Amino acid sequence: MTPMDLQDRAEYLSLALFAQKVVNALMDYADENKTAKLKPSLEEALDSLDSLLNAKRPSGTSRRRVAAFSSYEHLRTVEEVWTANQRVKAIRMMRLVLRAPRNPKTKAVANELIGLFSELQNQALWNFEQPKPVSPRIMQRLCQMV
Amino acid sequence: MPDGLRDLLHDAAVLHSFVDFIGEYCKEQERSQTYIDASGLFFKYVEELTAGIKLELRNEVDRAARFPNRLPVLRRNMLTLKYYLRLLHTLIKPAADAHTLTIPGPLIDLAGKQLRGVKGMSSSKIVILLTPEFMYFQRPHTHVKEQARLVETFVPQATFPPKLGFIELPYSQGPSFFTNLAVYHEIGHFVYEELSSLNPPYPDFVALRSATTGSLSRIFRDRQVLALAVKIVQNWTQEIFCDLFAIRLLGPAFSFALVEILSMLGFLSSKLSVKFNPTHPASACRFAEHVNMLTADSWMEAIKDIKSEQKKLLEAFAMIPRSRYNFYLDDTTRGPQALVNAFLDSVIPAIRKLVHELTPESNFAVRRFGRVRHDIEECLKVGVVPIMQHSNSPDPVSLINSAFCFYLTSLPEVITNFEGPGADRDVDIYSKWTRRLEMWTMKAIEDSQIQDRYRRLKRTVSWSFQKKKS
Repeated sequence: MTPMDLQDRAEYLSLALFAQKVVNALMDYADENKTAKLKPSLEEALDSLDSLLNAKRPSGTSRRRVAAFSSYEHLRTVEEVWTANQRVKAIRMMRLVLRAPRNPKTKAVANELIGLFSELQNQALWNFEQPKPVSPRIMQRLCQMV
Repeated sequence: MPDGLRDLLHDAAVLHSFVDFIGEYCKEQERSQTYIDASGLFFKYVEELTAGIKLELRNEVDRAARFPNRLPVLRRNMLTLKYYLRLLHTLIKPAADAHTLTIPGPLIDLAGKQLRGVKGMSSSKIVILLTPEFMYFQRPHTHVKEQARLVETFVPQATFPPKLGFIELPYSQGPSFFTNLAVYHEIGHFVYEELSSLNPPYPDFVALRSATTGSLSRIFRDRQVLALAVKIVQNWTQEIFCDLFAIRLLGPAFSFALVEILSMLGFLSSKLSVKFNPTHPASACRFAEHVNMLTADSWMEAIKDIKSEQKKLLEAFAMIPRSRYNFYLDDTTRGPQALVNAFLDSVIPAIRKLVHELTPESNFAVRRFGRVRHDIEECLKVGVVPIMQHSNSPDPVSLINSAFCFYLTSLPEVITNFEGPGADRDVDIYSKWTRRLEMWTMKAIEDSQIQDRYRRLKRTVSWSFQKKKS
C-alpha cells in the first residue's frame, strides 16, 4: 500500500526543486557569468517541455523518461501557471540562451526565464502546501465514460 | 541592514536550527540503538545533508548581500529546501524508532536477502520505519530519490544512497511474525519503483506500460483525462504486481497473511470485496490472481489438505465472476467500467509475465516444502523450535509456510496438549500460544540464517586452506 496524498504532494515538491535547479543555473549565469550548470539544466528543462508540447500521450508511454512535466501533478501545475503561449515562449528563450550565452542581450532573456520558472516554483510549492483534489472538470470527463 | 536581507537572515537561521537538530538527532540515535545496515546509511545521508545545508546557507546569505534583487528568489529556494526536509522529517523519526528490538529482525533479514536475489536488485537495501497507522506501507522512494538528486545540485556534499527502499510497519505489529509477512508486498512496491524507473527501462516494463497506455488511449482522448486514467490503472497494476511478487518469494503464507490483514481492516465484506477504487483493485480480483498463481506454481496442490477458513475465503473470492466487479471514484461516484475491463484484459497478463521474468521459479520451493513440512510440524506439535538436521534442513520459505499451515489448522491441538482440555477456547491462552508459535518460527529462521552463514564461511575457509596448501 502507498500513502497517496504524500505521493501526490511529493510530485509537486519534485517540480519545485526542478524549477529551482533551472533558476539557480540561470542566476549563476545572469549574475556571475558562470555557465557550468547552464547547459545541463536548460537542456533537461527543454527536453521535458518539448515532450509536453509535442507528445500525444502522458507519462510512461515513451521509452525515454523526461525529468519533469510528465505526471498529472506536473501537468496540472504547468497549466495553472503558464499559458500555451508562455510555454512556447519559454522553449524559445531557453534555446536562445543555450545558443548565444556570450551575447550580452541574452542576460535579459535569462532574467525573463528566471521570472517564468520562479512562478512555476511558487505554484508547485503552493500545491504542495495545499494539495487540491483532481479538478472537477477532469473527473467529470472521466465519468462520462461510464 | 536592508529589510529584505534581514528577513532572509531570519529564514536562514530558522532553517539552520532545524537542520542542526535533525543532524544531531540522527547521530544520537545511532549511538544509543542498534539498527539494520540500511538505516545507518540513511542516517548518514541525513547527517551529510544537514552539514551541507549549513554551509550552503552561508553562501545564500552572501549572495543575497551581493545581489539584493534576488532576495525573493533566494527566500523561495530556502522554502523549497525546507519542504524537502519536511518530507525527510517524516522518515527520520519512524526510522529511528525501528531499531532491532522493535522489528522482526530475522524476517527483515530474510526479506532483504531474497530481495537482493531478484533480477536487477542485487545491491538494494531496506530501511524499516514504524508507523502509527494500522497499515503496511511502502514509502514511495522514487520521489525522495529524484528530489535528493535535484537537491544534490545545490548541496553537493550529500548523495542519497542508491537502491534504498523504505517499508513501514504498524508499530503495534513490530515484533509479531505472521502479519508482518505483508512486508513482502511492500518490497514488491520497492522493486516496481526501482526497476520501472530505470533508464533505459526493462523490456517487460516497457511492455507493461504499452499495454496500459495502448488500451487506455483507445478509450480516453483528452490528455489530462488519459493521464488520470493511466495513473489509476498504474496504481492497480502495482498492487497486483506486488501481490504476485510476494507469492513468488513466499508462497501461500503471503495470501493467508493478506486475508488476515484485510479481514482485520474490514475490506472483505461482500460489497467492498468487488469494489475497485482509484488506488486499489477489488480484493476479489487480487485473490483471483493469488489463486491463479498459486495453482500455476503447484502450491495449491501442495496445500490441498489444509481446511482453514482463510483458504476457503481465498478460493471463494477467486470464484467471484468479474462481471460483479465495479469501480467507484469515491463513495458514491461510479467510475468507467471500461477502465476495469482494460485492466483485466490487457494489463494483468503483462503483469503476470513481468513477475515471472523477475522472480525465481517456485518449483524447488514447493518440493522442499513437501519434503520438510511433516518434520517441521512434528517439532511445533511438541513445542520446540524446528531443529536443523544436516540431511534435511528446512529452508526459511518451508518454515514459514509450514508454520502458517500449522497455525491455521493445528494450534488448538497443541494448546489442549499443553494446557488441558478446553484451554483452546480461552482467548488469552490462544493468543499466548500464537505468540509462542511465532517466536519458534522466527527462531528457526534465525537459526537457518546462522547455519547458512556458517556454511558459507566454511566453504570460504576450506577454499582458502586448500589454496594455501597448494
